[in-house]
Amino acid sequence: MTSPADPGLQAERTSLAWRRTALSVAVGSLIGLRVLPQQLGPTGYAVAGLGLVWSADLALTARRRYRDGRRLLRTGDGRDPRAVAAPTLARTAATAGVVAVSALVLVLVIALR
Amino acid sequence: MVEEEDDAPMAEDRGRFPRSVFEEGEDPDPRFSLANERTFLAWIRTGLAFVAAGLAVEALQLPVTEWLRVTISVLLVLAGIAATAQAWLSWVRTERAMRHLAPLPSSGLKLPIAVLLGLVALAVVVGLLL
Repeated sequence: MTSPADPGLQAERTSLAWRRTALSVAVGSLIGLRVLPQQLGPTGYAVAGLGLVWSADLALTARRRYRDGRRLLRTGDGRDPRAVAAPTLARTAATAGVVAVSALVLVLVIALR
Repeated sequence: MVEEEDDAPMAEDRGRFPRSVFEEGEDPDPRFSLANERTFLAWIRTGLAFVAAGLAVEALQLPVTEWLRVTISVLLVLAGIAATAQAWLSWVRTERAMRHLAPLPSSGLKLPIAVLLGLVALAVVVGLLL
């Protein structure tokens, strides 16, 4: 019996975590496509469209992180800069932060209207 | 020549973003970094879910008094902002701890998030009884 190169399936699990995130954003954006134009007019379409672009970016990251993970775990080199995708994580957190703060502004604007 | 090649990535490591994480310590087993990355993503999804819930309360006009509905919505979105901050904060602190073989950090913004959610639950109960 041959043991798998990556017994914990770490690369798969990490890739699937990105994929789940991409799916959440896609679903949210599609719901936004139905709801936002009623509240924001044409801007609503733009916001939902940007959400779909972000979702595609996350799905591409899922692919990339799978390949990174496989390579890393084959060589076992933690010093490979690909071990941590810090800039990608920072970008993801910043985007989520912008989404959350925009939502806060939206709720307050609707409430005060 | 070979030595130079061995040293190059080390020097590069020190300049890796973010510096507060990479300037010191030893690279951990990459599997631990990948686990930290998945925890980060779990917090990001949690934050997005809070934001979506906050927007849904307004969009679906939850049947409670107006000021209470806005309060619930705002609290949920604030929880979303806190969860997103927690994602990055805990990723940085965990990665740094792993590089120093230090105990993994706990808490962070978990308490404020729990308090916000408790207030949301309370507001929903009060709103439905009113």
